[in-house]
Order: sequence, then C-alpha cells, then structure tokens
Amino acid sequence: MVGMEVKTERGIRGALPFLSVLLLILLMQLQYRLFFLDNLFPYLSLAAVYYWSIFKPRLLPVSVLFILGLLQDILSGGPLGMTALLFILVRIFVIRQGSRFLEREFLFNWLFFIFVALLFGFLTWLIASMYLKEIQFFWNAFGQSMLTIAAFPVISWGLNAIRSLLVAENW
Amino acid sequence: MKELRHRFSSGFFIFLSLALLIFGRSNSVLINEMRTGVTDFFVPVLDVASRPFAAMNDFAKWTQELAIVFSENERLRQENKQLKQAQIKASQLAIDNQRLKKLLNIGEARVTTIAAARVVSDSDSPFFKSVLINRGTRDGVKKGLAIINEDGIIGRTITVGDTSARVLLATDINSRIPVKLAASGINMVLEGDNSPYPKLSFLPLGEKLSVGDLILTSGYGMVFPHDLPVGQVVEKGPDGFRIKLSAKLYNLNYVSIVGYEITRGPATLKAEKSSKDSN
Repeated sequence: MVGMEVKTERGIRGALPFLSVLLLILLMQLQYRLFFLDNLFPYLSLAAVYYWSIFKPRLLPVSVLFILGLLQDILSGGPLGMTALLFILVRIFVIRQGSRFLEREFLFNWLFFIFVALLFGFLTWLIASMYLKEIQFFWNAFGQSMLTIAAFPVISWGLNAIRSLLVAENW
Repeated sequence: MKELRHRFSSGFFIFLSLALLIFGRSNSVLINEMRTGVTDFFVPVLDVASRPFAAMNDFAKWTQELAIVFSENERLRQENKQLKQAQIKASQLAIDNQRLKKLLNIGEARVTTIAAARVVSDSDSPFFKSVLINRGTRDGVKKGLAIINEDGIIGRTITVGDTSARVLLATDINSRIPVKLAASGINMVLEGDNSPYPKLSFLPLGEKLSVGDLILTSGYGMVFPHDLPVGQVVEKGPDGFRIKLSAKLYNLNYVSIVGYEITRGPATLKAEKSSKDSN
C-alpha cells in the first residue's frame, strides 16, 4: 500500500513538465485587454518546451509535445500542426547539442534561447505566410520572439522550482 | 535500438504534423469535430481563468469613471436635451420612412439577438485574429452569424461547437465585410489584413474619403445587419484608406450574437410566385 502511494506521487510529479506547458498554453489564450499584448504575446510555452528539453527530455517525449502543440493550435485558431511541428523541432535541436551541452549556468541557456526563439519566430512567420498565401509582416514575429526572450528568466525561475521537486525524487 | 525507436517516433510525428498542416485546412468533418470538441472542453476552464482579468478591467474602468463623475453628469444632461429634440425628429422620419417603404415594397430587415456570450479566449497572435465565446449550437449559434457589441461590429462565427464558438475578427486577413460611407451611402468592402486598422477596398473611382468619415455596415452579404457602427477613417496609406474600428477588439467582454434576414413584402412575394408559375 505504501509502495503504491509512492508510485502515484511519482506519477503525478512526473506529469509536472506536461502540466507546466499546458498551464502556459492556457495562459497564452487569455485576453489581457491591452492593445499591445493583443497583437504580440510571448510564446510562453516555447520557453517551457526548451527548458524541459534541456533538463528532463524524458518527461516530455515527442508524442506529448505533439499533443501539446496540437492543443495550442486548436485553442489559438492557428493552422493545425504548426506548433506541434515546431515544438518537436525545438526538442530535436536541443537534444542534438548533447546531453550536457546546455546543462550549464543560466546565462548560457538564455543566450542559446535567444537563437532558438528567433528561429522559432522566423519559422512561425514562414509557415503563416505559406498557409495564408500572403507574405505576413515579419517584424510582428520578431517582436514576439523578443518578448519571449525577455520572459524567459521568469519562466525559467518558475520551472526551476518545479524541477527541484523532480530532482529530489531523482527523476 | 532505443536510438532507432526514438528517431522513428520523431519522424512519425513530424510527418503527422506536416500532413495536418497540409490537409488540416480542408473543412473535413473529422477535423472540425476535433477542433470543436477540444474547444468545448477547454472553454469552461478559460472562462473561469479569464474572470479575474475581466474583474480587474471593470475595477479600473469604475475608478476612472468615478473620477470624472461630476463633469460627466453635466455633459450627459446637455446631451440628454439634444437627444430629446433629435428623438422627436427621428420619430417623424421613421413614420415617413415606413410609408415610403410600403409604397416601394421594400423588404423589411429582421434582426434577432440569438444570445449574449462572454469572450473567454483570444488568439493573441499577429497572424490569426480570432476569439472564443462561451455559446454554441445548444444556444442556437450557427456558423456565419454576426458578432457585435455596444460599440460596433466585432466579427462572425466560423466554427461552432456545442458550448463554444470561434469568432473571426474583423481585423483577420480572411475577413471581408460589406460596409458603406455613412454620409453618402457609397458601398465598399472592409478588408482585414491582420493589422489593427483594416483597409477599405472597392472604393468607386473618383470618390473621396477624408479622415474622420464614419463607416457603417451596408447589410449586403446577409451577415451583418445594416447601419451598425464599424469605425472611422483614420489615414490614407499607400494601399488605400484605413479605419479604426469602433469596437475595441483587444478589450472584449460580453458580445451579442445576431441573426439577420430580410422579410419580403406581400407584393414582392406575389411577383416572385407569378414569375415561377410562368417558368
């Protein structure tokens, strides 16, 4: 009975990366009633996907990222499959750097994230332009990427607290 | 082996995402049901989560109003006097209008408010402009209905679930709304391009617009009732005139879902019937 309880606790804790990305996706859908944020809102979920791909990729496998990306596409009314595809590409890109490459201090991660966020913004703009069959205003995607880069320290701080729970359990 | 399995899994989901991107835009029943099913499930969650922001906004608005309550009261008294005079004129014109319509046998437009809804979610994307509302087919909502609020037009419903619906905003690149110039009645089309200020197209050659001109819905297209406020001309850019919408699309709370139809007069119906019989 005690063993079962521990297993359940681990199961719930193991779902924390998934739940954190889900929460950020839902936060991205809310209306903040500010003119500026209505047009440009940071890709909060990207920051979380990047973070977990570095530290706990096993807890956020490709299949889960596909579902989360699809959910974001459905809730935001965007092209189905766009965010799912980009999330998977981010995960592959981060993992390809080697398991220990990004497990360094925060500043290094943030600098690398600047590159990832700008690339993500460019690909979003490219896919949106192809999907809508009309070249979209690029600087909007750039602005969104910059806001995401600015939001990364806050998200990273929150996710660090969640990760400390997982580290304690040696996940 | 594990590496191979991982690569296969990544490849499979990339392929699936690409397939969805390519074929997902077709209005297949399966994809629409998936979309509406997911939104129906998450709309109650978003509804609850969005309430604190709505409450904060209401509070901020309330404090602003409180600060100007005396000057506002004086302004409203003056406005009330003017409106009373205008009301007398308007009722005389309405009687004239009714009489002339009968003479010309013009169809009567019928506008019905189907439901009031709350906006619970916003795409917050620069490329796709839409919002989710918490009313669906259970409340009588259908695809292609007009969404308005007290300030003016907002958009139209594009996908409808049991308890939720997605509204394509007037600023979206796929939005086209028939409008007219309030002063002269010249018909145009309001074309969204994902910018906050949609542009006016199909302006007749030689027609002049100026900044501040009022734009209303024309009623063509049978989605938006005629004479609803749309916005005001704000600038003339290289690609034409742009307008500022009357409704603040970044700050939506309650909206109305309205149906619009034209009921024909008895003479028109008689004429239509006789032409059918002769065919």
